[in-house]
Amino acid sequence: MVMKCEEIRDMMPDLASGMAKVTPEIRGHLAGCSACSGKLEEFRQTMALLDEWQAPEPSPYFDVRLRARLREEIAKPAGGWMGWLRRPVLATALTVLMAIGVGMVFHDGDGIYRHDNVVADNDVSSQAEPGTAVGDLSALDKNHDLYSDFELLDDLQVQQNVSANP
Amino acid sequence: MDGSVLMASLGSPPGTLQTALAGAEPYSDAEVMLRVKAGDEGAFDYLVQKYRRPLVSFMYRMARNSAVAEDLAQEVFLRVYRSRQTYEASAKFTTWLYRIATNLAVNHARDTRKERPEVTVSLDEPDEETGTTMDVRDASMTVEESMVRRERLAAIRSKVEALPERQRLAVIMHKYQQMDYRQISEVLKLSESATKSLLFRAYESLREQLKEFV
Repeated sequence: MVMKCEEIRDMMPDLASGMAKVTPEIRGHLAGCSACSGKLEEFRQTMALLDEWQAPEPSPYFDVRLRARLREEIAKPAGGWMGWLRRPVLATALTVLMAIGVGMVFHDGDGIYRHDNVVADNDVSSQAEPGTAVGDLSALDKNHDLYSDFELLDDLQVQQNVSANP
Repeated sequence: MDGSVLMASLGSPPGTLQTALAGAEPYSDAEVMLRVKAGDEGAFDYLVQKYRRPLVSFMYRMARNSAVAEDLAQEVFLRVYRSRQTYEASAKFTTWLYRIATNLAVNHARDTRKERPEVTVSLDEPDEETGTTMDVRDASMTVEESMVRRERLAAIRSKVEALPERQRLAVIMHKYQQMDYRQISEVLKLSESATKSLLFRAYESLREQLKEFV
């Protein structure tokens, strides 16, 4: 089978590094194609040069450190119900939701402040000591509805008395 | 390290995998990983012992620093350990392992791009691989020879590092990890023909840039 230059080119990294064997078909092509044989020789020289870059062996502490990290990993408690917060996507989604919520509260003016003031007023009146001016006023305010009901009952009794004794 | 030390530290009975491996049928890495999934810590140690050297070497060429390389290789093993419950033996174990390693290495390279100094040749700083300075050189080499060698090494490192990311990964996996086209294509999620073309372009670029050192 006659091989094409493109096929040799595809195999060249493997041929140059010795990972592929030179079959009779490849040898036949190389014998008749100076471009491919020249390129293959240059690739072989480049590969030999790249061989000079040696990587160091793992240090004697590699296993010790890995063992320690594994122990930490095993001892680490499960994430718990807040564990999902550690996931960046979910944490980001929560932040966005909170931002939208805050935005909605502030929408149309001073929403949260108005609410706070009402709450603050109520808090002040509920915390005022009885006997003080603020305390008495707030007690009167609270009892206003009750007094109104008593007055209404009084009026109804008066009317019934009137009908009973014409 | 004796494998039993790690096994003992992890609290599993030592020798479980070794005993099994003594049988007639050798286990594939995927099968060993399934044993890790089933809780066999000895099986995990077997994988650590088998792949720590290739992974440190892979990370060293990606990170160009042996301490960082060891940290990253350990992180790969930790991720393997964390993922043991969800591991499916659908892909080859090494493909899965190198995908984890590749992601880590690429992220590290991107995170530290601005911090990394250019590859230089210095007479004072020790060679990271040999730990020697030019003063304590190989007795068989002259100062000039030693200097030329280090310059050549710096050129190799810098030219490989200057390759586009996927070309660099492909070269490191092919040249230094002896991975074939199919494995590299699976790790990089490329077609086999695209991987062949990628590797040819990468080596062609290195050949051109390193020809003065050949």
